[in-house]
Amino acid sequence: MQETIPLSLCNVSKSFGPVRALNNVSLSVRTHEVLGLIGENGAGKSSLLKVLSGIYQPDSGDILVYGQKRTFSNPAAAASAGVGVVHQEQSLVVNLSVAENILMSTRATKSGNKDCKVRFGIYNWRKINEEAAEILKRIGSNINPKSKVEDLSFADRQMVEIAKALQISRQPGVQPIIVLDEPTSVLEDNDIQQLEQEVRRLKEIGSVIFVSHRLDEVMKFCDRICVMRNSEVVGERLTSKVNADELFRLMTGRQAATTSRERNKSLRDSAVVLNLEGLGAKGKFSDISLKVRSGEIHALVGTNRSGREEVCRAVFGAEEFDSGTVRYNGKVVSRPNLRESVYGGVAYLPSERKLESMVAGMSVAENLQLTHRGERASSIFVNPAARRDKAKEWISKLDIRPPIPDADIASLSGGNQQKVVLAKWLEDCQLSLLILDHPTRGIDPGAREDVSTQIFAACEEGAAVLLIADTLEEAISLADTITVMRDGEITATFDLNSGAIPTHAELVAKMI
Amino acid sequence: MLHSDNLISNGHRALVSAGSKPGLKKEWLGPLAALVVVVLILSVLRPSTFLTWENFRAITDQASIPFILAMGASFVILMGCIDLSIEGVMATAALIFVLLSANSVNSVDLGIGAPLIALLAGTLMGLLTGVIHTVFRVPSFMVSLGTWFIGLGIATVLFGDSIPQLSGHLTRTWASASPLGVSNAFVVSVVFVMVAKFVSDNTLMGRFTYAIGADENIASLNAVAVNRHKVYVFALAGFCSALAGVIGSSRLGVGVVDLGSGQLFQTIAAAVIGGTLLSGGRGGVINSICGVLLVVIINNGLILLGVSPVFQRAVSGLVIVVAVVATAFSQRSRLRIVK
Repeated sequence: MQETIPLSLCNVSKSFGPVRALNNVSLSVRTHEVLGLIGENGAGKSSLLKVLSGIYQPDSGDILVYGQKRTFSNPAAAASAGVGVVHQEQSLVVNLSVAENILMSTRATKSGNKDCKVRFGIYNWRKINEEAAEILKRIGSNINPKSKVEDLSFADRQMVEIAKALQISRQPGVQPIIVLDEPTSVLEDNDIQQLEQEVRRLKEIGSVIFVSHRLDEVMKFCDRICVMRNSEVVGERLTSKVNADELFRLMTGRQAATTSRERNKSLRDSAVVLNLEGLGAKGKFSDISLKVRSGEIHALVGTNRSGREEVCRAVFGAEEFDSGTVRYNGKVVSRPNLRESVYGGVAYLPSERKLESMVAGMSVAENLQLTHRGERASSIFVNPAARRDKAKEWISKLDIRPPIPDADIASLSGGNQQKVVLAKWLEDCQLSLLILDHPTRGIDPGAREDVSTQIFAACEEGAAVLLIADTLEEAISLADTITVMRDGEITATFDLNSGAIPTHAELVAKMI
Repeated sequence: MLHSDNLISNGHRALVSAGSKPGLKKEWLGPLAALVVVVLILSVLRPSTFLTWENFRAITDQASIPFILAMGASFVILMGCIDLSIEGVMATAALIFVLLSANSVNSVDLGIGAPLIALLAGTLMGLLTGVIHTVFRVPSFMVSLGTWFIGLGIATVLFGDSIPQLSGHLTRTWASASPLGVSNAFVVSVVFVMVAKFVSDNTLMGRFTYAIGADENIASLNAVAVNRHKVYVFALAGFCSALAGVIGSSRLGVGVVDLGSGQLFQTIAAAVIGGTLLSGGRGGVINSICGVLLVVIINNGLILLGVSPVFQRAVSGLVIVVAVVATAFSQRSRLRIVK
């Protein structure tokens, strides 16, 4: 019985100095199975993956491949046991072709040169393209191997990543074990359906380890679920015998709270903060008209090509538009400008946290006061003590961990980084319009709740919120109004306060 | 290219380019169009002098050294690095070549050995730049700035106190001789360009250059030996500069320290005008060819249009700045970071 299990970990531990990243973790992957691995950020999922893929070596414990003890001293060794990892961050070189990307790192496993795809450093394009096409076909994709990765959608890029992992782990006599690390974090709802088929196919070829922090997905995709918390595996359940509440409790150690709120019934009388009339930008969006009132959460939904990000950026002044008008608090803003927007009480939380909203290398306190310096600061000199006090206030309000104002923001987990970035904007005492682009992308349920609570609090104080939600469920549970966009145009508007709450299917129908 | 830029423009690009075949996007069409426009303008303004065989010969002569230099520079710039040592390496190679061939200062004559040693010296200087850049992690512009002056220094020492003149018939006339209608120098440079095009499209060397330029971290995640590869490319650039130095000396007949004066500006300008991004990963050989021809033809045109030699430098600089702005115009985006 033992020999039929392609991969298992026995009592694996790993420490970094005093920090225990993995504590006595045991786990086994069976053939033709999708194993879910869930846990909040910092629960030890990433460390576990790094052990599986040969990046970290465990301090104690064993890795067994078909019952045989093995050491994964580097990623190539893991690949020889059939383990292929699709990392959370994209690992594709965007200006090269799909085929090049799929076959590039197989040189690392020394199997690439055998059949003369590259001889004397010169490519045999025909063979490279043929082989890539074959691998893509195995996972049911018809992406042209010659196309450049930068021309592909995110969903297709993910396919290429999977094909690449499959190629790396392809070894004679070994069934591939494909690890998908948060594969849905960059995907939209309709792309996730595509991924589901993907995973089904991979399951026929071998096994899949599916890492996520979205409960609904794990329950949809996986046969068996392992839950991690505080560097340990705290539970293992068959999907058929578990419900979301139990998983949430295992994951966070606390009861699930309701994330939807009481809807504000008296919105009709409140002031219109943002009024867009026929806004258009060539090639991006056209004829966008909508109103966002004080205290309202207005969600824009659509696929990632629908133009909703562009609309938000245009309102904030980060991109240009060429027709229509933007009225902000009743006044026409002919050309939104970043600085004026910020000082006029507009906040914009971009989706690319690491690139656009935080300054890595600066402390939590400094990041908090990057935009608004608070009443106590003088105009020229920074008062470090006041800054630290202010930071402490936010840290306790938002439960930012670790609670150290001087910690480098880059050392925080994603969820905590996002809290800091959000607090940076909430710091503005005149905040009247909050534009949120995927505020909960890539953060765990606990942090998600904290972020939602803050958004509601800002609304209570009269701010208007323009939201691009991470999922449709999120939009439905948070928003007062949902505007659906497709190909740069508005296709439907739902007023949730009137009691008519749209279903998932109704929204998708307007999106595609 | 910045990731965020990618994300922002992704939806936009998808809308715009839906329907166009993937993988067939030609990034050099813009610069080529600019080239055609410039040629047309000059043909109309100066039909009797611009569209002549003599002028064509003059342009090919002028373009041969920039072609070779631009090949080396393109590979370096594609990686997101820069090589400022061009003029220094040219000077060293030139002096080594002249002093080791039959010349007026000493009695050494190594024949074919002279250019080979000069090329080797240039390659080593590039190699050194690459090694220092990668091992000590110093920005390439700083290291190559140093190599530039080291090169000029070596050349100055070798120069001594009298101008060494080439005395061999072959060495003195080979570069300018034109048995094929155009000068040998141009023939060499065209062959060189074709090899460079092949290397950039079909070899690990070329493809890894693009990969490193797109994102060094991702490239190394994909098992690309980034540092080693960078050293190779810098060595290639050193070789190119040395070849330009040898050809330049053969054409001039003497070995001088300021042989390469002005080439650095022309080469980088040509690469950028051609649409090769200084941030790396985009552009390539065809782009640089278009860029070189634009720069050379603009300079040629200024002479034909009778711009006073006193103003020529300034005007050519101005024209090049305008050209750079024009070619980069479509890629500007308000939040793109340009350093």
